[in-house]
This record gives sequence, C-alpha cells and structure tokens, in this order.
Amino acid sequence: MSGVLAIEARGLFKSFDGKPAVRGIDIAVPEGSIYGILGPNGAGKTTTLRMLLGIIEPDQGSRSLLGHARPLEVARIVGYLPEERGLYPAMATREAIAFMGALRGLPLEVGRKRAEILLRENGLGDYVDKPIRSLSKGMAQTIQLFGTIIHKPRLVVLDEPFSGLDAINQGRLEHLIREEAASGTTVIFSTHVISHAERLCERIAIIADGRIRFEGLVAEARDRLRPQVRLRTRAEDGAWRGALPDDAHPRNGFWEFELPGEGVEPLLKALIDGGAGIEELSIERPGLHDAFVAIAGEAAAREMEQDSRAESEAAA
Amino acid sequence: MGLFEAAWVIARRDFVATVYSRSFILFLLVPLIVFSAAMGTGYMAQRNDRSAAQPVVALIADSATVEALGWARARLVAGTAEQSLPPLRPVAPAENVRAQAARLLADEQDGYSAVLSGTLERPVLTGPPGVEDGLGAQLQLVIDMARRDAAFAAAGGAPPRTEIRRVVTAEAAGNLKRIRRNIAQTAQTIIFGVTVMLATLLLSNLAEEKSNKVIEVLAAAVPLDSVFLGKLLAMLGISMVGMALWSGTLGLLYLFVQALQDWMALPDAAPAVGWPAFLLLVLVYYSANYMLLGALFLGIGGQASNIREIQTLSMPVTLLQVFVFLLAMSAVGGDGGAMMWTAYILPFSSPLAMVAHAAQHASPWPHLAALAWQALWVVLIIRASSRLFRATVLKSSPGGAFFSLASLLGRKPG
Repeated sequence: MSGVLAIEARGLFKSFDGKPAVRGIDIAVPEGSIYGILGPNGAGKTTTLRMLLGIIEPDQGSRSLLGHARPLEVARIVGYLPEERGLYPAMATREAIAFMGALRGLPLEVGRKRAEILLRENGLGDYVDKPIRSLSKGMAQTIQLFGTIIHKPRLVVLDEPFSGLDAINQGRLEHLIREEAASGTTVIFSTHVISHAERLCERIAIIADGRIRFEGLVAEARDRLRPQVRLRTRAEDGAWRGALPDDAHPRNGFWEFELPGEGVEPLLKALIDGGAGIEELSIERPGLHDAFVAIAGEAAAREMEQDSRAESEAAA
Repeated sequence: MGLFEAAWVIARRDFVATVYSRSFILFLLVPLIVFSAAMGTGYMAQRNDRSAAQPVVALIADSATVEALGWARARLVAGTAEQSLPPLRPVAPAENVRAQAARLLADEQDGYSAVLSGTLERPVLTGPPGVEDGLGAQLQLVIDMARRDAAFAAAGGAPPRTEIRRVVTAEAAGNLKRIRRNIAQTAQTIIFGVTVMLATLLLSNLAEEKSNKVIEVLAAAVPLDSVFLGKLLAMLGISMVGMALWSGTLGLLYLFVQALQDWMALPDAAPAVGWPAFLLLVLVYYSANYMLLGALFLGIGGQASNIREIQTLSMPVTLLQVFVFLLAMSAVGGDGGAMMWTAYILPFSSPLAMVAHAAQHASPWPHLAALAWQALWVVLIIRASSRLFRATVLKSSPGGAFFSLASLLGRKPG
C-alpha cells in the first residue's frame, strides 16, 4: 500500500429536497487498500459513493479521484458496481461485460475475449451467450461485477456488493476483492454487514446519519475499546478484590471488566498475591461490532443487524 | 473518453439491440402496412366519394334527345374531367312529366339532385332552389353542345375542328412552380411522417435505462451528453435502415408497376437544386429534423418515470409536431412573409421549411447557414436535456459550465 491517496474527500455535503443526506464527509482512501464504508441503510453511504464518482455533484465540499477533481476524467481506470444492479436483460452475458468495458474505453473485441476468459475461469462458461434475463440474481450480480473490473481499473467502487448474494457467492466475492487488491487495485465498498468489512478491510469509515463517526484503520477502531477480561476465581473474597477495576461486574459466575491500562502482568500479580485462586482467565480483544456499537451507538448497530437479517432472508 | 467516442459506444449498443430485436421487424413492416392500407382506403374512399358526392340528374326525354345529350356530355368531359359535369340518367317519360319529376326528386333511394325534361329546344330543369346556378350552368353547356351538333347535323355537316399549332418548350414556369411545390410538400410529408413514427420510441428511449438501473452505470462512466447523443444517433441509424428498406420497396413497386403499365411517369421537372443535391438535402434535413425533435423528446421522455406518463406525453408531443409541420408548410410557395421567415428561423420547423426551400430555390448558401443554425440548436437542446435529467432524475446539481469545448472534445481543462 502506497502513501498516495486514491480517493480524498473533504466536507462533502448533500441534501435532497432540503433534507440533508450527507453532512460533511471526510474520507481518505490510500491507493492499493481495501476500504470499507460501514453504516446502516440510509446512513448516506450510497450518496457518498455517488458523489465520489461524480454521478451527483455535492452541494458543498471537494473530492478527488486518483488525483482528479472531475471523476469522469479518470473513468477509464475506475470501475463501479452500483447498489441497484443495472444490466440490459436481452444482452448476452459476454456482450454485457464487454459493453461495460467499452464504456470505460476498453475495445469491444478485447472486452469480449476477457469476458469469455473470466466467465470460463469462474465456472460460467455455459452462460457466455445466454441473455442476462436467463441468469439467477446472484449470477447476474457476478456478471455485473465482471463488467466492473473487465477493463482492469486502478480503483474499484462497490456499493453494497454482498447484498442479495448467498453465502457461497459472498465467499467468491470476498476472494475476488482480495485478488483485485493483491494486484494493486484500490477497492472501496460500502456495506452494512460488519463481518465483511472486518475480514476484508484495512481501513474503514463508519457513517451514521450522514456523518462520519470514525475514519481510520480497523485496528484503530477496535483499539478504541479496551480488551475485555473474564475471570473465575476459587476464592469468593479476599485481598485480590482490590486488584479489580471499578467497572468489574459479576456475570454467570465470572467477573467481567476492561483490562486496566497497566496491562495484564500487574493484574495477574495482584490476583495471585491476593489469593484469588484463578480458575479461568480470558482476555478478549473487542471485535469491530463492539467498536461499531461504541462509535455509532446501539441504535445504529441494531439497524445494521436488522438490515443484514432482512437481506439474508431475501437471499435465502 | 471524449463525448463522441462515448456516444458511439452507446449508439452501437442501442443500434444492435434494436436491430436484432423482434420488434424491429414490426417497426419495418408497420409503415409499409400503413402505406398500403392508406393507398387502398384512399382509393376506395375516393371512388365512393366520387359516386356519392356527385349530383345525378334524371333525364326524362325521348331516345333521340337522350342520345344527343349523352354524346355532348361525353365530348365535354373528355376535355375536362368526369366529375366536371353531372351524370345524366335516362328515365322513360310518364304521362304526367311534372308529377314524375316531383316523384323522382322525392325518391331517397335514387337520390336525384335535379330532373331535366323537355326537348333540346325547350328544356325544363326541375330542382330545389338554386338548381339553376350550379347544375343549371353545367347542363346549359351540355344542352348548347347538343343543339350545335344537331344544327350541324340538320345542315348535313359536322362542326369544324380548329387545329391548334403546337410549339413545345422545355417547361412552363407555372407548371414547374406547381411541380416543385408538390415535390416540396412530398418531401416535408415524408420527413414529418417518419419523425412522427419515431416520436414515441424517442420518448420511451431512456425508460429502459431507468427501469433497468443501467443509467447509474452509464452516468458513472460517460458524460450524460454522450448518453443522449448516442441514443439519438442509434435511433437515427435505425430510421435510416428503415428508410432504405421502405424507399427500396417503394422503388421496386414503382418499377414493377411501370413494367405493367405506364401510368405513373415521374415528372420531368427537377427540384431547383437538382435531384442529386435535393435527395442529399432531404437526407440531411431529415437528420437535422430528427435530431432537433429527438433531442427534445428524449429530454422530455427522460423526465417520465413510467409508461403511463410517456403515453400521456405522446399527445402534446404529436400536436407539437403537427404545429411545426403546418408552420413549415408556409414555406412552400411562401410569399416571404413573417410566417415563412418564422418557419425558416424556428429551429424545430427550420429543416422542413428548408427542404421546401431546396425544392423551389437553387441557391445552396442558405442551406449552409440553416444547417449550422440547426446543428447549434441540436447541441443546445442535448446539453439542456442532459442537465435537466441530471438535476431532476439523478437529483444532482448540473455541475460545470453549460458549454465547454474541452469537455466536448474529451480534454482536460487547463
């Protein structure tokens, strides 16, 4: 990953019919990274991506894509998968992929050849000449994704790419994203499924109510919370109780508390010296979900879970 | 990508998608079916109209009078037209001719307009008030002709025939003017007809992209101007394919009919600019007319969110086209008045008016000015349509200057 920014946005603001959708978004996506934008539906993710791509103009703020203030100037080296998938139903799959490449300046003949290779490599060789309307939703989504990367872009923007896919296709997509990133392509995607971002991204932005609540490394987001300690002792009382921090609380026979700032060694020493009789002790690093709850709030996390559940049911 | 490069990608896709669709065959067949149906019904209607609309006169007379009047009428209509004189239908005289005439005029089935009775020397015309003005004047000619023939026959001779010495020239200005007006009107009608046929297709042209959400993919990759331009070019190409097929079919039909009987000779007179230049100008002005109205309709249709709205828009759009057509017709044999100049200058009527101009005036220079003027308006309308689409459908401020040469050529500013 280089220090050059593939995307830089400052103070993006957009309202529709007087209602603010995005309120001052700042984003910096390093080239070669996988970057996730996390937030519940309606948080402003799609609007942000559409502004970054120049599909809509921001009311305020500035953005640059691969060093260009006008996104269409670099359209040849950008790929975009919109949230609402768009394909011509009567078009053959190979033609659809080649057409999307042609829109980005790839000669049609080259696009057709690459499309055929991509389709065959991904087990869709039988569908080369089949019309889009004959494909399943997941397949059509895969075709559109191929169309997004057919011209070998330097930057790929995916809006809710996992939406509507079953678990197998989600896994395939994750693999494809990793492959793209490994070849030096910057990938930015929006999602309301935290696990995808946690598995794939180096950096994330958490959006809620049109505002950025966090922007940085995934590790930084997780580091906002102290590791959680779960402790079971033989002794019910004693001097060791003085070693427990103020937030320690019993639950299901365990003491639970955040690891004190001094670290684990002083805690262990105090517990042993105080005669706690440690039966079980675990230290868990908080996941991105916990970090999300802490950053965006319980309500936003609940919305995300609901969106995710509804989508899983729809995909099933 | 530059505007034209991107437009070409869009146009190619649309063209191929349409030409290879089943509905394209219908598109090609519809005008031929409509044309054949119009010819057939027109012929039938004309025939019915001819027999229904012409007043018929009952002729109550002896056989000699019937024969004399019949001959006189036949000679007169030979020099004019069958419709110029009322048919005379002989009826055997009854005892009371006056009562017979009244009966005949009251008979709804036969539908006589007047009754002619008596002899050549003392003819009697019975009919409603005013019968003496129209029918009376026409029958007067027939009776006079019959009486002259009878007089010559009684004298044992025939009326002398005046020999007219004929001096043949290339063309008479009056005829030429008339033929060129006809050529102008025919060219205008063809352009108008084809554009009307394409109007609904243009209105609904962006509907597919909007319903399939492809518009988002297009808008992220290429300038919206090129989407509009590409769609227009594709439809223009499709209509050209159609025109080639239709004109080819009509040409073959003409040759076939010519081979059977020589009744459809083309006029010797040529349009003022000559046939090759005129045909080229028809094609160019058709394209200009199509692009101007097409850009407007595409812009209007882009605002519609469903088929119902598109159907609602069709009526005012057709009315607009009819208005433009009527305005452009004022340029045919125009007297240089304000209406004619409005037709030349108003962008939407300009191509039709200039086709008429090409048929009637030889100078090529006005066409260069007109085409430049129309091209400018095509650019302006496409630009305005795409900005409106961006603002209302994509919910974005238009962004950028209304016109930028750099963006037109696909170059980075600065």
